[in-house]
Amino acid sequence: MWPWLVEGAGLLTQILLLFRGLRAGMFRRYYFFYIYITSAMLASLVMVWIILNSPGLYGKWYWLMQISTLVTGYGILLEIMNHVLSPYPGAERCARICGIVAFGVIFCFAVLAPVVTPRWSPGTVIEFERDLRSVQSLFICGLLALIFYYGIPIGKNMKGMVVGYGVYIVTSLMSLAVRAYAGPSFTSVWRVVQPVSLDVSLMIWLVALWSYCPNPVPDSNIPLEQDYEALVTKTRSVIVAIRDHFRKAARA
Amino acid sequence: MIQLIFFLAIGVLLFASLFFLARRNPRSEGSSSALIEARQALVALQAGLLPVELVKRIFAKEDWEYVRAEAPATVRDMFKQERKKVALLWVEQVRTQIHSLRRFHRGAARSYAKLNPKTEMELALSFAGLLMACRALQTAIYVAGPYAAPQMVASMANAASRACKVSEECLAFLNAAQLGVLNGPSAGQATL
Repeated sequence: MWPWLVEGAGLLTQILLLFRGLRAGMFRRYYFFYIYITSAMLASLVMVWIILNSPGLYGKWYWLMQISTLVTGYGILLEIMNHVLSPYPGAERCARICGIVAFGVIFCFAVLAPVVTPRWSPGTVIEFERDLRSVQSLFICGLLALIFYYGIPIGKNMKGMVVGYGVYIVTSLMSLAVRAYAGPSFTSVWRVVQPVSLDVSLMIWLVALWSYCPNPVPDSNIPLEQDYEALVTKTRSVIVAIRDHFRKAARA
Repeated sequence: MIQLIFFLAIGVLLFASLFFLARRNPRSEGSSSALIEARQALVALQAGLLPVELVKRIFAKEDWEYVRAEAPATVRDMFKQERKKVALLWVEQVRTQIHSLRRFHRGAARSYAKLNPKTEMELALSFAGLLMACRALQTAIYVAGPYAAPQMVASMANAASRACKVSEECLAFLNAAQLGVLNGPSAGQATL
């Protein structure tokens, strides 16, 4: 009964999220995000159909669905990059480099892992998803580090998107890591934690994306006369000057 | 086991980042209002808090010698404690200036399409080092008192004035017309 309640609540929230997205005209604004929600909803429906009609296929299809939603989930990260960092080309450049590296790792994993791994047992699938989740986690950490460092403002929609997806990734990563370490004894806990964390994320998204809230942009872009190299040179010389003073002070 | 710890550590790192994001003030750094605030703070410091004469007065050993010679022990103790507090506040102002410079650099650099991540990393480390040095000096005053190292005080006075100059130089990146836009009719009165 309990798994059906969790699954049902998730499906209902996904439908509500899509409905609100349509009503508030957010589909065309956050299309990567809604592609992810649609794919997650379709995956949930397929899984329900499989459980009801051919439960023997559940294990095989579960991982296929997990990996496909994991790949579409990368779209959420692209969405965040597009909306939060686009007014800041410098910060966006750093994030793009970070994203390309992370995506390269995911792509190599997806293409090479089945070829390289001779036996594709459930254990290796768990480790595979855990590794992909850790790459996503690191990418979000990098993205957040850039947002914090450059003091980039983040609106309600985007904040909700990051926090919701982050909560799901953190829970998945940790439960997968423990599952890979502890073995099948942890499966019963893991089967509860995974869908519940998805429901929590969906609730966060539903609240944050109830209505469209544009991401704040700086009150005015400050055009500067000098180029980046000049700014860096000036800042660097100033740091050296201050540091010299402090060295003298420390010696005194 | 090491593998498990590694993945759990990544999870904890992400969780902490999300926590700080959720609690974060939505105001952006480096926006024009933040820059105006930084400019106003700089003016206030240069004009009211950090003139060389004032700094010399705060750290004047003659005052202490006079109090030590003329006043009772309780007054001496109180005087020393008060001067220490003032000295510590003064170092805090130096830190504020460096923070202001860093904030300005970040606010400007994030908009450059040609931003070099490696250079930015180096600068971030340099700023961090500088702020740590400030903390070390603060600790030295806290432990040894404002009169323990007069040369240190002189160097710090220089560093303070240099830090103000630094912020001034950085803010000079904005040309006069753009500053006019930033100040605006409602933005305030600060000018350098």
